[in-house]
Parts: sequence; structure tokens; C-alpha cells
Amino acid sequence: MIVRGDSDRRWRRIFLILGIVVAAYALLAPLTSLDAAQSAGVPLLADRLWFRIATFIAMFVVMATAWNIIGGITGYAAFGNVAFFGIGAYTTGMLIAKARWPFLVALPVAPIIATAFATLIGLPLLRLRGHYFAVASLGVGVAVGELVQNVEYHGQPIFGGASGLFLPIYSIDNRGLFFFYLMVLAAGISIAVTWWVLRSRFGYGLIAIRENEEAAAVLGVNTTAYKVAAFALAAALTGMAGGIFSQWNVFINQDNAFPIEYNVQMILMALLGGTGTVFGPAAGAVLLQLLIQFLGGSLPISADIPFVSDAARPIVAQVILGVLLVVVVIFVPRGVIDFFGGRTRLSLAYLRRSLRETSL
Amino acid sequence: MGVMTVRRWAMLAMAVVAVVACGGSESGGNTTGSTITLGAPLGLTGSLTKESTLTQQGYNLWLDWINARGGIVVNGVKHPVKIKYYDDTSSANQSAVLMQKLITEDKANFLLGPYGSAATATDAAIAEQNQIPMVEANGAAQSIFNQGYKYTFGVLSPANKYLQGVIDMAATLNPKPTTIAMLSADDNFSLEVANAINTYAPTKGMNVVLFKKYKNGATNLAAEVQAAKAVNPDIVLNSGHLTEAIAINKAAKEQKLNAKIFAYSVGPSTPDFITALGADANFVYDGSQWTPQVKYTPAFYLTVAQYVAAYKAKYPSLGDPDYHVAESTAACLALERAIENAGSLDPKKVRDALAALDVTVFFGQIKFDSRGINIYKPMVVEQIQSGVHHTVFPADVADAQPMYPTPAWDQR
Amino acid sequence: MADFVQLVILGLLAGGVYVAVGVGFGLVWGVLNIVNLAHGSLVIVGGYLTWQLFTTLHLDPFLTLPVDAVALFVFGYALQRGVINRIIRAPLLFTFLLTFGLNLIVVNMLLLIFGSDFRSVTPSYSGQGLELGSIVIPYVRLISLGVAIALSASLAFVLNRTRTGLAINAIAADRDAAQLVGIDLRHAYAVTYGLGAACAGVAGGLIAMIQAITPTAGEPYTLQAFVVVILGGLGRVSATVVGGLAFGLVEAFGQSIPGSGSVFANAIAFSLMVLVLVTRPQGLLGRLR
Repeated sequence: MIVRGDSDRRWRRIFLILGIVVAAYALLAPLTSLDAAQSAGVPLLADRLWFRIATFIAMFVVMATAWNIIGGITGYAAFGNVAFFGIGAYTTGMLIAKARWPFLVALPVAPIIATAFATLIGLPLLRLRGHYFAVASLGVGVAVGELVQNVEYHGQPIFGGASGLFLPIYSIDNRGLFFFYLMVLAAGISIAVTWWVLRSRFGYGLIAIRENEEAAAVLGVNTTAYKVAAFALAAALTGMAGGIFSQWNVFINQDNAFPIEYNVQMILMALLGGTGTVFGPAAGAVLLQLLIQFLGGSLPISADIPFVSDAARPIVAQVILGVLLVVVVIFVPRGVIDFFGGRTRLSLAYLRRSLRETSL
Repeated sequence: MGVMTVRRWAMLAMAVVAVVACGGSESGGNTTGSTITLGAPLGLTGSLTKESTLTQQGYNLWLDWINARGGIVVNGVKHPVKIKYYDDTSSANQSAVLMQKLITEDKANFLLGPYGSAATATDAAIAEQNQIPMVEANGAAQSIFNQGYKYTFGVLSPANKYLQGVIDMAATLNPKPTTIAMLSADDNFSLEVANAINTYAPTKGMNVVLFKKYKNGATNLAAEVQAAKAVNPDIVLNSGHLTEAIAINKAAKEQKLNAKIFAYSVGPSTPDFITALGADANFVYDGSQWTPQVKYTPAFYLTVAQYVAAYKAKYPSLGDPDYHVAESTAACLALERAIENAGSLDPKKVRDALAALDVTVFFGQIKFDSRGINIYKPMVVEQIQSGVHHTVFPADVADAQPMYPTPAWDQR
Repeated sequence: MADFVQLVILGLLAGGVYVAVGVGFGLVWGVLNIVNLAHGSLVIVGGYLTWQLFTTLHLDPFLTLPVDAVALFVFGYALQRGVINRIIRAPLLFTFLLTFGLNLIVVNMLLLIFGSDFRSVTPSYSGQGLELGSIVIPYVRLISLGVAIALSASLAFVLNRTRTGLAINAIAADRDAAQLVGIDLRHAYAVTYGLGAACAGVAGGLIAMIQAITPTAGEPYTLQAFVVVILGGLGRVSATVVGGLAFGLVEAFGQSIPGSGSVFANAIAFSLMVLVLVTRPQGLLGRLR
């Protein structure tokens, strides 16, 4: 850590190249599915399964990166961001299913509504600190999902009620490719926004709030405005992902638009990758989702678990996922971005040091 | 103990005979063709594990049988069958990923349904976009079938029929019950069940005097039961799931809610309801897709008695199969017969054959309306009497009289 | 009027379970600064223990509660000492992740061992109760409430009147100072978590009697524990008791709203919690730390 040797710099370069290769593959592989490429005899690198998983991963990249703005950079542990995802999904979903708006016109409304909502609840909520804010935002997340499912007007559910909303299947050639690039665009915007935030006055203000809110206020940072703006920014990005999700998935209801477990997953991803950084949450999202999909058996490569019956296999896979999470949290408390960024190298000494630093 | 063992062996023997007899009597082709791959994502972990496991049992029961005969016969060629399962961790979004995996990677020829209405709705959209038929047995909500999808078929009676049988039965009883307290979970399926009663009961001269929605999955329903007690209804109906059915039954006893009929949409048919509640489970009615007592003359596959025996032989510790198992098997049968009728493995031809299907099996008649749901099979009413499920309505399939009225809690 | 009284009684009785679930959660949160997402799964472990003892040994379910408490204490102690202690100096959110992982492990181990069947403990006196005119008080729920109050009282006694309790209070006030005066932090942390787990185990035993449990049945209780602890105020056992009873009442009255009102019981409870947090972050009774 103290001396950054030549070998560390070499590692950093290797990881950078690796990252670029992966990104280039992700961006270019879909093109092989186009008719022109297929008729030219280019091997198919992205089938429909590829698109489904990759779009899913990109969706989590958006959510984790957006969470990082409020949770990582500002230091406010938002635990109810799935509310913004659901609000975005329902905004677009309602406009398409009930008002018959075209998808691309309805989509931009999602982040607007999510932002408005975040501003409204952010003003009171962001006065709370630490765990209190986390719990209050969790409460909002749960309450919003329930209201959306159950609010009625003259006995008729306003937002589709328990039946949820069925959207018409979007008719476009290369549907998988379209939604993948759209979600990747959202992910790109999220990362770009984070990059900008970290280099702006605004971002310095947020970091100041994270490190010491009173001091930041003394230095003239309008802490309330900054915090609410960061919250709203996170909401806008998350809401955009929700908006894309609604048309991509065709069907939305409380179960899939407000899944409570996504609150944990997006934080998990950001922490895994490294909070407060530009690429950390994205890296965490890709890694964790790939791990989940690998253990769930949906990737082309899969591993057999020895000595385990077929019936017990999925259960054991969940146990393994839990054990891996525990191990990672214990041994890599600063996130894997430490390795990719070349700031450190995965070694026994590093593991021992992180264990010592965080242990009682 | 000795009697149990003998009975178990007898059932095993019966099941073997049944399988051998069926296998021997219908001889299709002799050449073996390519393997037909079916697939289903199921909640093998997470909150829907119980119901998903029952679904899987139903699919596997048919799988054993069809492969024992060499497979599905298509134009004189026998195609062995395999079913790929994945764990969707009871998440609808993950179910969609796995559906695509089955279609794209595993080249599943046809799809079987997941468990749960959110997963079924999501997967129906995937099946539609990929134009692969999906036959499902565990999503009774009609909203799924009102979307104009062409590739999703449900073998089960739709949600609105679930408790109508109870009302029909009540109309025949003496003294005739007239007031109903309707409690319902706030999910898609349960609300369709409950709303149907709201409109159906008055046509049989009964009134819904209380209609209350509660949160899906609620475990404390004391206040709901209290509200029901306040209106002193003849009939207490619950439209929910196993968890809520047990909670309501426990609360009803605690709070001395007495009614002539307690009937729950889902829950009592599962053996867990009796093991969890003991004697308190007695007298409870439920609307059921199928019971081990129904009397249908099957065009193929097993008779009802053979089916029950086969289930007990494969899962010796689990008692009788409940309707989740039977309807899941029925989904496989619908698919099998449609493939045979189509004489092809082409998804479009099989879809058309499914749409034209009209066959009676141990589960009842399987025929789909233009939306793809089976509105032709009647529901039956079960009652738990002395710890055993009995079919009590309609009379032509019943094996026992309804024990009516339900005695007050302190007189049992 | 009788209806109103009955509703209040039902709410308070239901609150007993929430108290039992809340005290352990609040202790671990307040003292160790750990938001224990695995709390609900520990509750269900207790539930399965009671069910197992009831079905195989035919023990009275209330007599199994001490077994639950001891077993869960040992389990919790080992868990804290072996695993959670490793990340105590990491940023706060890491406890979320760690306990989320532990929850995943415990729930799926339960699924491996007990399967997904719905289990419930129904003793012979289940469903019977006191009848005062038109008002009914079920015995099982009444005793459960008594157990929950007794559990809280013993916890308060341990915390305020014993050496161990003083050590726990000391680390809650200032961890490093506590270490300076010679408190074995690793042990004290493990004891605290063990006590929290023991309370969860007792709560689970009660829950197995009033509902059916499955391996995933604990998740709603983790969520409700948040509300209970916040409503009362973090840091005092008595505050959690008030929070739990208040939650039971809110739920009962939420459910009694005619028509479709009761589906908002959760939304009402959580909105109330947010309101309490915003206007009175120390909780209804608690003191601000």
C-alpha cells in the first residue's frame, strides 16, 4: 500500500485492458445478431438469452451506480431506492398501457416523476442520519409499493391493482438488441453522471457532507440542497431503469417492480465493487449478477456441485452464495475495485491486513 | 404399523401393474426418435418452495410414466422426454431469465409453467415473443389470459370458479345459509376469486355482508376475523393461500367465530393444513381443482385410483396427491396429446393442436377457450372430515355427505 | 364498545410477539450497531426447535422456550465470535451485507433440514380462552404476551443489574473506553449477540404456536422489527416493549378499517414509523444517543 511498485502498475494496466476488452465485447457482440451480419456468415455471439441476461445486468449497473451517488459519495445509506425503480416502471407502464403513449415518449417521464418524488420525500428524510435514514427510506420503499398496488378510486384500482399492468409487446425488429442498447445507454449515462459528479464542485460538497456534515455546513455548503439533489439524481437514474424495464418485461406488478430484495442487492453490488468510485458499483453489479446467474445455472458454463442430489442442488447453491458473500465482506471490505484500480494486489498479506483492520 | 406397510406394498404393486398395463396396451411406434426437451423454472428456493415442489412432483410423475412407455409417439416414432428444471428463487424476474435460457440454450421444444401468477404472467410474455407454447397449471388469474396471447394455455379452471362450487353446494343445504363474510388476500388470483363471489352469491339468494381485503401473506388476521364475527355470517369464505388459511382458522377458534360453513380457496387441500391444525382442521371446506375421489373416465394415462397409487408409490411419505400435483400432471398430458395430434414437433402446429384439444383425463376435461384457459372442467368441493379429505360436491362425484352445519368450536 | 375493547385486546396480544421479536433486534442494533438482517431467520430457527420438541418428545410448547433460548444463545455467541466480530470496525453498511449473507445461509440450511412444508404447533389447549361477556382472550396469546414481557424484564435485569450487563452498557456508550477499563470486547460482543439471538429463539417458539412456519417465514418479522424498534426508540428495552405493543395496536386498527383498508396496514405502520423518525427520532419513549 505504501510503495506502489512497478508490478502494481503492471497489474493496473492488465485490469484496465481486461475491462476494455469486456466492455468492447459487450458492446459489439450484439451486432453479430443483425441480419446483415448473419447473412455475411459472422458467428452469432449474442442470442436471446445473452440479451436477456446482459440487459438484466445492465439494469443492475444503473441501480448500483445510482445508489452510489447517494449512498457511496454522499454517505447516506438509502435502503429504499427500489421505490424509484417501481415508480419509474409504473409511470412508463401507465402511460403506455392506459394512455397509449408511445414507449419512447413515455420513457423520459419516468425519471421526472421519480425525481419529483425523491425531492418531496428527501426534504424530511434527509434530515435523518445513519441507520435512521436507512430505515426511514426502507419504510418509504415498502409503503410506496403497497400503495401503488392497492390505491382505488371509486372501487377501481388506479394503477392496475393486483392484476398489475400488461403492456403491449413492443414491436420492433431486433427487440433484444434494442432493449439491451437502451439499458446500456442508461448505464453509460449513470457512469458518466457519476464521473462528472466526482469532478464537480457539487461532488466535492457531497464528499464533504459524507466526511463531516457540520464542517461542510460551516464551509458554506448548502447541505440540504446538496443532499436532496444527490437523492434526486439517484432517483432519476433508477427511475429511468424502471421505465425501460416496464416495456422490456411487458408485465409489471408489485412483485417485480418493487422487489424488496433489490434494495439489498444494489447496495451489495456497490459495496462489492467499491463505493464512492466511478466504476466500482458497475463492476460489482456485473460480478455479483454473473455469480448469481452462474450459481442459478443460467449461464452457458455451469458447475456441478459434488455429493449433492438434484433436489438439494438449488438450495446448496443459495448456501454457497451466502458463504461467498460472508467471505467477501470479511476479507475484502473495501471492494474489489481495489484490485482493478491497481491500488493493491490480491495477496495473502492483503487479506490478513483487511481482516486485522476490521476485526474486533 | 403392519397394516400401513402392507397397504403401502399393495399400492406399490398396483402402481407397477398400472404402469405396465398402460405401457403394454398402447403400442405406438418402435423406432426411437430425438429426445423432446420440456422445461420449467420453479421456485425451488425462496417463499414459493412448497407449491413449486408440488408442481415439480406432478411433472415428474408424468415424466416417469411417459418414458417407461418409450416416449411420446409422433408419427409412429417414439420420442423420449426430458424436463429441465431451474430454480428461479421464487422471483418472477429471474423466472423470465430462465425461460429464455430454456428456449435459447436448452432448445426446449415446449414449456411448462412456473408457480405463481407474477411469474406466469412474465413467462407468458416470453413464450409469446419466442412463439413457443407454454402449458401452465398454476396461474388461474384470468388477467393473464385476457392479453390475447396465443402461446399460453392453462389446464386449470380459472380463478372465478374457485369458490362458486361452495355457493352451489350451500344452496342445496338445509337450513340454507344466506349471509357471507368474504375475506381475501390482495393478490391478483385471490381477488378474482373473491370478486366472482360478490356477483355470483346473490344469484343463489345469498348476500355478501362483509368484504375485506388483507395483505397477501399476512400471518396475523385477528382483526379480520373479529370483523367477520361482528356480522355473524352463515358462511366464512377466505380467498388466499395456505398461510392465511391456517392463520384464519386459528384465529376463528381463538375468537369463537362460529359459522355454518368455513370454506377457503387454497390451503385445506394440502396435507400441511391438517398436520398443522390437527383436529381444528375438521369441517373446513375448500374449492378444489381435483380430488382423489373425482370420477372421470380417462381417454388415456391413468385412472384416478391408479394416479393416486402411482403418487404414493413414488412419494411414500406424503399421503394423497393434492390438486397442485394433479393439475401439473394434467399440463403434461395436454401437451403430450397435442403433440401426438399435431404429429409434429413444430411449435406452431402443436400450438394449433393445443387450441383444438378436447380430451378427458383423470383430471377432468381439458379444453381451452379462445383465450387459452380451461373453462370446461368443473371445480369440486372438499371437506375435511375426521382428519381426512372427502369430496362432498357435486353429488355425482362425491364420496361423502357434507357435515353440515359446522358445530360451534366449544361443541366439537 | 365491546368491539373496541376486543380490538384493543387483540392488538396488544399480537403486540406481544412483536415485542419478543423486537427486543433482541433492538439490543443488537443499539449496543453493537449491527442491523441484523438475519434476525428473522434466527426467529424461525427457534420456531423449528419448538416444533421438533413438540412433535417428537411431546413437550408442552411453552416448556420448550428455555431450550430455544439456550440453543440460540450458543449459536448466536459462536456466530458473533467466529464471524461477525471480524467486521466490527468496517463501515456500518457492511453489517447489512454480512447479515444478509448469514440470513441466506440459515434460511437455506433450514430448507435442507426441514423442507418447505408448513409446520405449526397446535397443543390441546390451542384456541381456548377466557370469556368475559362477549370479549374473548385466547390463552396461547395471553401467555405469549406474558412470556414476551417476562423476556423483556429479564433482559432489562441482565443489562442493568449484572456485571455482564454493565459491560454491555459500557461498550454501547464507548467501545474503546470500555476496552481500556479491561472489558473483553470479543466476549462482551458475543454475549450481547447471543442474548439477542436467545430472544429471537423465544419469539420463534411463540410464533410457531400462532401461525404456520416455513424456512422463509422470518423475513416479514425482520421488517417489522425495524418498525417496532424505531417506534419505541433505540436503546432501551422498555421502549421496545412500548414499540411492539404500539405496532400491534396500529396493525389491529389498520386491519379494522372497513373494506379494503386493511391492505394498507403495512403502509400505515411504515408511514407512522417515518413520521416518528422525522418528528421524534428518539422514538416515542427512547432517548437520543
